[in-house]
Amino acid sequence: MSLGAFGAVLTVVLTTGMAVVVSRWLHTALDPAQLLASERVPHLGGHEPSVHAWSRFHVRYYAMALLFLAFDMEMVFMYPWAVVFVQEGLIALVEMLMFILILLLGILYAWRERALEWA
Amino acid sequence: MAGAGARVGLITALASRADIPIFPVLGVGGRRAAFALAALPGVRVVDHPRAAALLLVVGRPTRALLRPLLVVHDLLPPPRATVWWQVGAGGEDLVAALPSTVIATTGEVAGLRTVFGDLVSGRRPSDRPALPDIEPAPWRGIGPYGQGGSGMTGGVPFGRPLPSRSADPDGLELDELPLHVGPLFPPLPPGLELHLEVQGDVLRRASVGENPFTRWPGDPALGPLDTSDFLGALDAPVMVAHLELARARHHLRWAASAVALHGLRAEAHRLRHLAERVCVGDHPSVVALARRLGRCRSLASTMAGIGVLDGGDAPPGPVARAGGRGHDARLDDPAYEGLGFEPVVHEAGDAWDRFLQRLGEAAQALELAGRAGDRVRSPGPPVEGPRGLLDASEVPPSQKLLSLLPDLLEGQEWGDAMTTIISLDIDVEEAAAGAEVQALVEP
Repeated sequence: MSLGAFGAVLTVVLTTGMAVVVSRWLHTALDPAQLLASERVPHLGGHEPSVHAWSRFHVRYYAMALLFLAFDMEMVFMYPWAVVFVQEGLIALVEMLMFILILLLGILYAWRERALEWA
Repeated sequence: MAGAGARVGLITALASRADIPIFPVLGVGGRRAAFALAALPGVRVVDHPRAAALLLVVGRPTRALLRPLLVVHDLLPPPRATVWWQVGAGGEDLVAALPSTVIATTGEVAGLRTVFGDLVSGRRPSDRPALPDIEPAPWRGIGPYGQGGSGMTGGVPFGRPLPSRSADPDGLELDELPLHVGPLFPPLPPGLELHLEVQGDVLRRASVGENPFTRWPGDPALGPLDTSDFLGALDAPVMVAHLELARARHHLRWAASAVALHGLRAEAHRLRHLAERVCVGDHPSVVALARRLGRCRSLASTMAGIGVLDGGDAPPGPVARAGGRGHDARLDDPAYEGLGFEPVVHEAGDAWDRFLQRLGEAAQALELAGRAGDRVRSPGPPVEGPRGLLDASEVPPSQKLLSLLPDLLEGQEWGDAMTTIISLDIDVEEAAAGAEVQALVEP
């Protein structure tokens, strides 16, 4: 006897249900020590936090955005420039150098803002 | 079933032979044992309680250290145990607060190994949490998700209050997180408690908290400090070679903590071992080490230009000499006459120059120890300690350096702040001892 579409739905429901039960069981089985309030605080060296961890801070994306623009815009301009370089000659080289010089200012600024440091 | 039992037995046996992860808590008088601990075989000193299996209390925990100690104790993941290396009298409060504490022989790894083995095999139950199970921010059940607020992202979350806001250096109104770190917060020096206001990883304001080593009425005296060799030279004759070896040992231990902060763990390990067994004959290897570390570009790039302190602002000592001020008490000490002593001096006064300064002084100390032979220093003139000038009537260098911290840390990023603090080589216990002397002088 074929259960057809109903069988497929039943299989999905049963499998999902079992997955929920098994993962709940795994959670308790692998975490035998149910942590108490004093075991859940973050480590501050002997103090508990006095304010909520929900804190808005500045990740300074602008420095990363500046670096991205500097290198990305360089590439965007360089492809068409490479195509016409032979045809245009020295003037194209000077134009590109000026362009790179302007972008370099941005990179130097980002460098000063410590955007290139690992940590 | 027998196979499974044998397998568990094998895993337990292998686990109990692993390096013992230890979070040490330094109490009064435990300095020397704590230094030796890091060089013990089969022991791994960790800098976060979550990575430890044993909480090792070295020396006598003061009353002010007891509560932070219990907070840190509960952060060790079960199974956990507490071991106490008792040094001197006092500290029974610890056993009263943590009755399952094991008192083991100070400086020996065997006691630690037994407790760890029992813990891993299940023969010893895990320590119960020391603090009561009281939610600091009880669930109030207000709002659809219990957050108790309104607005697009839930408005005000339940529990602890939200941080207040202030303008950041770019003019944006951002949260200012009050953070109390310490007194048991590596890599900060043991006992140092900082009250910080942070925006992201920028320290907007910093102040130094209570000194946990300050004695309360009726407390036993403070134990021997790690500068006790030098303090002893204030009132008793001592061999110059002995003092200089102690200086080299001190600077090498400090250098180990400085390179460990920047992730050079193997280098830190080598430095710690060298510090524990350093002798006059090690002069060439210390010179080579100083040259090698001095060429390390990664260290230089993380320390150069950080925590700049003019030589005139710092107390007389290595920190002032790294900033270009060349005074050294050994110049006026008759015991050093004819040894060809010239102070090592650097110019920039940043964390990198302080690093080079101490490595240079360690190598120089070994050279002086070799030249001094059996020359004896008589008490009388002030002693040049490894942190600076020691004089019976003077405030110790650590106390002066602590008072410089708030201004130095303001506006620094977290990593730079840690580099600055380590580079000053502050001993909080020495500062407490100095405060006692000051209280006696100015009642």
